[in-house]
Amino acid sequence: MSLRFHWMLPKGGEVSVATPQTPLEAARYRIEYNSAYPAPRPDMDGWSYFARCAEEAGIDSVLISFSRYEPDPFVVSCALGQATEKLRFIVAYRSGLMQPTTFVQQVNTLSALIEGRVALNIVAGSSTLEQHGYGDFLEHDERYARAGEFLAVCNSFWRADGEVDFEGTYYRVEKGKLHTPFVAPDRTVPEIYVSGHSEQSERLACSQGSCWLRVADTPEKLQPSVARMRERGIGVCLRLGLMCRPTREEAVRAVESLLPEDRREVTTGLKDDSQMYREGAAVTREAHWLNRSLWAGLVPHYGPVWTTLLGTPEELAEAFLAYKRIGVGEFIISGWPELDTVITFGREILPLVREGERRMSSVCL
Amino acid sequence: MLPKGGEVAMKTAQETSRVLTTKSTSPAALPDLEGWTRFARRAEECGIESVLLSFSRYEPDTILAACAVGQATKKLKFIVAYRMGLMQPTTFVQQVNTLSALIDGRVALNVVAGSSTLEQHGYGDFLEHDERYARAGEFLTVCRSFWQGDGEVNFEGEYCRVEKGKLHTPFVAPDRTVPEIYVSGHSEQAQQLALTQGSCWLRLIDTPEKLRPLVTRFRERGVEVCLRLCIVCRPTRDEALAAAHSLLPGDDIGRQERAILAGSDSQTLKQALAAADEVGWLSRQLWAGLVPFYGSSAMTLVGTPEELAEVFLQYKRIGVTQFIISGWPKLDEMLIFGREVLPLVREAERHCEEMAGG
Repeated sequence: MSLRFHWMLPKGGEVSVATPQTPLEAARYRIEYNSAYPAPRPDMDGWSYFARCAEEAGIDSVLISFSRYEPDPFVVSCALGQATEKLRFIVAYRSGLMQPTTFVQQVNTLSALIEGRVALNIVAGSSTLEQHGYGDFLEHDERYARAGEFLAVCNSFWRADGEVDFEGTYYRVEKGKLHTPFVAPDRTVPEIYVSGHSEQSERLACSQGSCWLRVADTPEKLQPSVARMRERGIGVCLRLGLMCRPTREEAVRAVESLLPEDRREVTTGLKDDSQMYREGAAVTREAHWLNRSLWAGLVPHYGPVWTTLLGTPEELAEAFLAYKRIGVGEFIISGWPELDTVITFGREILPLVREGERRMSSVCL
Repeated sequence: MLPKGGEVAMKTAQETSRVLTTKSTSPAALPDLEGWTRFARRAEECGIESVLLSFSRYEPDTILAACAVGQATKKLKFIVAYRMGLMQPTTFVQQVNTLSALIDGRVALNVVAGSSTLEQHGYGDFLEHDERYARAGEFLTVCRSFWQGDGEVNFEGEYCRVEKGKLHTPFVAPDRTVPEIYVSGHSEQAQQLALTQGSCWLRLIDTPEKLRPLVTRFRERGVEVCLRLCIVCRPTRDEALAAAHSLLPGDDIGRQERAILAGSDSQTLKQALAAADEVGWLSRQLWAGLVPFYGSSAMTLVGTPEELAEVFLQYKRIGVTQFIISGWPKLDEMLIFGREVLPLVREAERHCEEMAGG
């Protein structure tokens, strides 16, 4: 299997800014939820343009994040799916926001409208504060138990022909039946990415998911957990930021320019009860270089998904292949700005990765 | 009314009976973007303002269907039916707001407290009829707080609880900051809900005499009234009658329909079925004969273009301001309405205004 590369959908307004953004401007756009920013508005022009560039770059899917700061990812995928032909959409959703039956009806409807180009990224929950605004008052561990039940009901709808009956702690469904099926050329159940670093999230990925989504770490650190997942037939997808420059020095300078002027600035407190965020905040300054290509310097300030792979096209292609060797199959990438980085990725890095993959498979033969 | 999936291509009413659309093999289960787009564009040409998208477990999700058809149209609005108990109000507002921003605010809501108990159980909703209305009241209160408030939403009720709720995507429309909310149902609870939380009460058509006191009650409180009906319009009354009777299904489908409809605990439906059994014709133009086979919304106005235009104007005189119409075949009857009936209604309305003005 060739590696699959996905990209983060830019925020509303990010692509259509009139002047080219520096990495710093683009990065700030992502983290500053200023209500004057256009990010809360759907941005069909910018997104359609980005989507076409991503398709051309060889990107498989875009991840559409969920938060109270952004438009609903189902509705956005539906609109954007009408404007694209190949690109797939990984829709992030949290459990606790709707009944699983309703959720399946929406997923199935979307699949039928965009030829099955939809996958799910299930997040158990986010910050307690944000969840309260959605009417969800469960604590971290309970949210995972609920997400397990939620996905169990969803999977019953997708896998069963008859009626769905379920009686759990959080959900109860009696004689559930939906007539709109999941429609795709090659599958009857959507791919389900389960994200998180806690043990509960790993278990949830194994029991109900098709792929475990986590932040990049070094291949050495990841190897045991990746092997564990792969043995159970679950894929592994890494989330990372990408900074590619003609020389390593330029790449290092570019990522360091993203550090906030006030080095004490942190946004990670927002997600106080996420294990991923607690781990991220604990990374010390000395340990920012996880290896020669992987930098966690932005993590204490902006959060774990800012873990950045950086270097020249050759170094980056080699880094992706190193992950492939330990069994990682997919990546969801961000860049600052997203558009420039996806174009660079498609032009400079992906051809080298594909060439390396061909070499690997001929060696195996 | 937006036709169900596959209905735009269907030539007979019988194909659209509930017996057939509730079978899992029915094309109603799948979105019909091609048929819907064709229908929607013709609706725009006919002078139709909005299409209603119905919600059930037999059909695709209405919010996403509206999003897809909305991309292919320019003027048409979408009245999205949704039931309570299916998602958190915050999530619902986020989806509605996103949809509004994607289709220039061309979205309104038809809030239904619930449907048959059986169907609600399949959605994980185990409340009884009266409680469903109490919950719908809380649900809409939370939604309105998001739409009308600037700050954070706090609500603590029996069914909904929200703390420091905040959404950044606003409801986007050229002319409003809150969507129109149609509340449907005939029960006293439904009426109360429409009066307190709705902008329009949506109910089945009945005779103007019967509706007058109800309509007055709503209009006095600043809430509009919209009637749901079907039409059969032909050049002569005899042709219209013959066309209406030809819509009746065979005995077999008829029996199965009755069985399906008997499972509902909707008061609207019970009243409509009783009318069909007891009277058949509620007035010279209003026929309940199709209700047992196609559901309560099949209360049908039958007549010539002149007769139908006059009937619409009678409703206007008692204060009704909107109608949601369907017919068989779905597209053909809408084209007849647009070509034959609507110009007569508009002409009479102009005439009335001139009289009033002069």
